[in-house]
Amino acid sequence: MRANSGVTPPGIERVATATTAGAADAKPARLGWILIQVAAFVVAGGVWGVASLLFPATTLPPPTAVLARLGELALTADFWSAVGITIGTFAVALVICIVVGVPVGLAIGASTIATQSTRLLFDFLRTIPPIAILPLLLLVLGAEFEMVLVLAVGGAIWPILIQSIYAARQGESLLAEMAASYRVPRAWFIRHIFVPGAIPFVMTGLRLGTTICLLLTISGELLGAAPGVGYEIANAQAYYDNTRMYAYVVVSALLGLTVNGGFWALQRRLLRWHPSIRGEVRS
Amino acid sequence: MSAVRRWTSLIALEIWLPLLLVVIWWFASESSNSVYFPPLRLILQSFAENWLVPDRALANLVPSLQVIGVGYGVALAGGIAFGTLLGLARPFERAVRPIVESLRAIPGVALLPLFIVLFGIDQPMRILLVAYGAAWPVLLNTLDGVRGVEPTLLDMARVFRVGRVRRLFLLILRSAGPQIFAGARISLAITLIIMVISETVGASGGVGYFLMTAKSEFRISSMWSAIIALGILGYLLNILFRIAERYILRWHRLQQARLETAR
Repeated sequence: MRANSGVTPPGIERVATATTAGAADAKPARLGWILIQVAAFVVAGGVWGVASLLFPATTLPPPTAVLARLGELALTADFWSAVGITIGTFAVALVICIVVGVPVGLAIGASTIATQSTRLLFDFLRTIPPIAILPLLLLVLGAEFEMVLVLAVGGAIWPILIQSIYAARQGESLLAEMAASYRVPRAWFIRHIFVPGAIPFVMTGLRLGTTICLLLTISGELLGAAPGVGYEIANAQAYYDNTRMYAYVVVSALLGLTVNGGFWALQRRLLRWHPSIRGEVRS
Repeated sequence: MSAVRRWTSLIALEIWLPLLLVVIWWFASESSNSVYFPPLRLILQSFAENWLVPDRALANLVPSLQVIGVGYGVALAGGIAFGTLLGLARPFERAVRPIVESLRAIPGVALLPLFIVLFGIDQPMRILLVAYGAAWPVLLNTLDGVRGVEPTLLDMARVFRVGRVRRLFLLILRSAGPQIFAGARISLAITLIIMVISETVGASGGVGYFLMTAKSEFRISSMWSAIIALGILGYLLNILFRIAERYILRWHRLQQARLETAR
């Protein structure tokens, strides 16, 4: 149907061209837009540069100094081990959330009694700010990788679990009833109706979970002094080395960008058939 | 009569598992010698001392509520304002998209040291950090919502010469409403996280401060009581949010109900 899906632009842009104002988007060519975006980035850097003149260099260093420092840091092993630990913790936590959250959520959602019995409990548990259990985790597990891992899982699993429950609930939908009346075989139903119907729900939970997972990984490292990018930020600040601190903040932004970009790519692959990838909650 | 019975059985169905877990917790922890997992009895005792006595509870809660209230308010106002601006100024939005994406990719906590350097360690720093960190979900969802307004509606408003201000408030923000609320819900969760984190530095009151001092002074029951207090606070704020959403978006529910019956 959509044979050129490999080169289809992101959902937002595809929808954008359908609106009246979208015409403005299409005017300069793709390359032109990239140049304009780069120029906007340079202007923003310039604003930062001018602002840095107003503050003492120790408070707000110019962007060039931060980038130079980042380049120096990138040559050290410590830098890469911090980045590696943060990415590793984040990835392991996310995998645990998916491996536990999706099947458990689907199982609970498949039963009305289980859904209603757990509703109040999950509603309460997920509204506890995950960071509240940080002191407890610090005492029990210490300032280690495991502490950050438990914190990240404890926060990020809820959206994934709850969206998976919703995903299984749509078994009551019109499509399911129709499949039942046509006596569609069970396996065919799961492969062609249930899974495609469930994926959008699970993806929404996954996107929220991904953002929260990264936020908590870095928070846990920063506050709990566990190794990783978060700790490096806190450490640089403790030594009043603000250039180094900003360099690591830039690193955390790059991590966030990579995670978001990876997520969009995955979503486009899995949901390219879905007409409404635009109308979802962004985090 | 049967309606009452149905309601009670529904409530019973929702409440039996949480109750059972609390009972299990109570009895399983009663003879606990573990330092980190004190008996629930002691935790509840400490909860009553710290969170139910008015002046203690006020000292612990007022600074946090201030940060939540003002910070979340600024985040909502700023997020909706900038989101609408970006949603309406399409070419500009596309030009600055990479900047917006990189700024929102910075986890809010990573900026804690920066905000301390720039704004000190008092209440304004906390409010600004919450406002900054919590604004992004609202901003991005407002942006998407504004951009997704039915183009025919906009054209029609133009044909009928509906004024700019009324077009903005009655048409654009209204139809973006459901998505703005979806973003605001995520912002609320982030507000709570950043509030606790920001109170670990230089605070002299507040839930986060209480939590951290209880931990460093090894008052484990107090620490547990703060975790429970935060859970209740989060739950209550979510209920408030739901009430506000239901009131402000009542047209949306009505519209949806109408669609349902029409089908």
